[in-house]
Amino acid sequence: MIYFDNAATTKPSATALSKAAEFNNENFFNPSALYRGGLYCNNSLKTARSSVLRNLGLSETKYEVVFTSCGSESDNNAIFGAVKRGVFVTDKGEHSAVIKCFIEQKNRNNTVFFCGLNKDGSVNEKELLSLITDNRVDFVSIMHVNNETGAINDINALANKIKSLNPNIVFHSDGVQAYGKIPVSLSDDIDLYSVSSHKINGLKGTGALIKKKKLNLSPLVFGGGQENGQRSGTENVFGIKVFEYAGKEHYSAIKENYVKVSEIKKYVTENLDENLFSVISGENCSPYILSVSAVGVRGEVLMHMLENRNVIVGNGSACSAKNRYSRVIEACGYPKDVLDGVIRVSFSVENTLDEAKEFVKAANESAASLKRMMK
Amino acid sequence: MEKAIIVRYCEIHLKGKNRGFFEKLLQKNIQNSLSDIKHDLRVMHSRYLIENYSDEDYKEIIEKLGKIAGIHTVSTSFVVKNDYNEIMKAAISLCADKKGTFKVETNRADKTFEMDSMAVSRTLGGDILAEYPSLKVDVKNPQFTVNVDIREDGNTFVYTDIIHCLSGMPVGAAGKGLLLISGGIDSPVAGYLTCKRGMKIDCLHFHSFPYTGEAAKQKVIDLTKRIGDFNGGINLYVVSFTHIQEAIHKNCPEEFMITLMRRFMMRIAERLSVRLGDQAIITGESLGQVASQTIESITSSNSVVEKLPVLRPLVMFDKLDIIEIAKKIDTYDTSILPYEDCCTVFLPRFPAIKPDLRKVIAAENRLDVEGLISEAMKDIECIEL
Repeated sequence: MIYFDNAATTKPSATALSKAAEFNNENFFNPSALYRGGLYCNNSLKTARSSVLRNLGLSETKYEVVFTSCGSESDNNAIFGAVKRGVFVTDKGEHSAVIKCFIEQKNRNNTVFFCGLNKDGSVNEKELLSLITDNRVDFVSIMHVNNETGAINDINALANKIKSLNPNIVFHSDGVQAYGKIPVSLSDDIDLYSVSSHKINGLKGTGALIKKKKLNLSPLVFGGGQENGQRSGTENVFGIKVFEYAGKEHYSAIKENYVKVSEIKKYVTENLDENLFSVISGENCSPYILSVSAVGVRGEVLMHMLENRNVIVGNGSACSAKNRYSRVIEACGYPKDVLDGVIRVSFSVENTLDEAKEFVKAANESAASLKRMMK
Repeated sequence: MEKAIIVRYCEIHLKGKNRGFFEKLLQKNIQNSLSDIKHDLRVMHSRYLIENYSDEDYKEIIEKLGKIAGIHTVSTSFVVKNDYNEIMKAAISLCADKKGTFKVETNRADKTFEMDSMAVSRTLGGDILAEYPSLKVDVKNPQFTVNVDIREDGNTFVYTDIIHCLSGMPVGAAGKGLLLISGGIDSPVAGYLTCKRGMKIDCLHFHSFPYTGEAAKQKVIDLTKRIGDFNGGINLYVVSFTHIQEAIHKNCPEEFMITLMRRFMMRIAERLSVRLGDQAIITGESLGQVASQTIESITSSNSVVEKLPVLRPLVMFDKLDIIEIAKKIDTYDTSILPYEDCCTVFLPRFPAIKPDLRKVIAAENRLDVEGLISEAMKDIECIEL
């Protein structure tokens, strides 16, 4: 099987799983417990926290890590925890975990703005900055890498420009598709950053919210006061350690992986039949995500046809497969026949150029036969 | 005090000499449905009694009885000796959490009982009022009724609440049919209504991979399972329809796509029915709802069925009424999941709303009808649910 739906989820790393196995076996203790086993688990969590910050180039004196159950929870905590009343700005390309929170903020009588996108799915900077200039904005959330098109927003630069217009703004970024994939050191202008484990060969059910220590954030989950009171509930030590180890694997070779995956993406982009496919992802995109449209064909049908040839791709965003068109690609300004044909091809470092060749062949043949059929 | 569930049937009352057949069938259906729950089923005159069940199973039993066609109502009752004091204790216990107005209704089959039914009602009403002074009697329009049924076998049933069930006829009483199920809102409702009238059903679904995916098939499986609850289990037959759709698309005028597809579906349904011993084809068609359900379209698809009746339980139903039933039987939320379904991918821009049968046949003549059907019949998947 060729698995090209790595933006939906990735295969858990066997190495990370076996390294973390002790926390399901001899070291199963509750990290809040005061005996040795508990302390050992608690210390193990501390190493995991440090490694997340190190990976992102953030200092431990200024930032802290709150482990959560997923990227969505991290986003929710950031958006509902930092500012209760005020003006909220985000963009139309965000994952539902952010968009739905903003809609909820609107329902709670807050002012909310959704900034438009460029053709490749990145945020329209001019529009964003004018929203900041024209309104007394309190909270901004701009995703790092768009999960459907792969477009990279230069969040360091955006956060800097936004803060120079209004230093009181809280800046959050959903980094779920960037963490472990895009080599970058985050700047101090970023207040909150969400990441998820299962997108980098960790397990589903583990995420983290990175926050500035001095930022006051009210929790979503109250209880025993774990995670510095930010997120109660006994920590998922095994999941967090798998997250740490999987992160290590990615960050120890992040630049090499970037180059390797870029080659795979380049091959696919250049060899998909241009009479059949139009590429939505632009130049400045994550090499891990490629969005294309088989114009005039239904994306879901093409997806099933590829599935029959043992090639797995995504249609739009797997989380929103219940909706007909991709909301994000629609916001990029494409017409209906393009929206209809969108598939998302997303890579991981385990993919090979041979797989890319086989995929291209299968995709070109399938799309051609479908197009003949649909005529 | 012993408890028991009284199960009453409805239309079977109207049966004459063959009543026994229906009673036995309903009894069998109840036994099948409750087969993995500990209980005893006693057959009484024109009702059944479920006894010796454990309290933890009570909710599940009521839920299962609610899905058995042929059952009109059920009541949970105290069973006491034919003795006024016992009857009174049971009635007082039943009224403990009641409010408002009530009356007592007594049926005395045991004519040796010391009081007549009027006397029982009167005395019991007085005793209940003495115990619960906040209650009031209203014989014309009471908020609840205390029913006392003094039987000849020495037992008395005392109960208040009557739960309405499906009604209809026991499944199996009206033979067996084949339901065409698409994954939309209508066909599960048609299946449910068919079961309710006593016809046992099999289901047939046309799958067009890759034009429809596994998720669309799973949706049909989930819907079929729901209908299976009313049918006492169910078999879903899945026929691959892709090659037929492609052949029509390639060779015939676009506007007849759906008309011709329906004709193929009906032919395949008839052949499968004959193979399975089904006596009718059931569809969820509703007159004029979409282009393929105008009287002309129905005429066109109906005309290929030679041996069996085609039953269309929803033919005169409004969509909103169908949706209401779909919500009641809990198929609606599954039905509206927007996975590609068999009809939408090849949907023509302008389908023939009133297809001319001669033109349809002329278009169909361009196809190897027999060859396409036999290929479809070769490889039918059966999923037991």
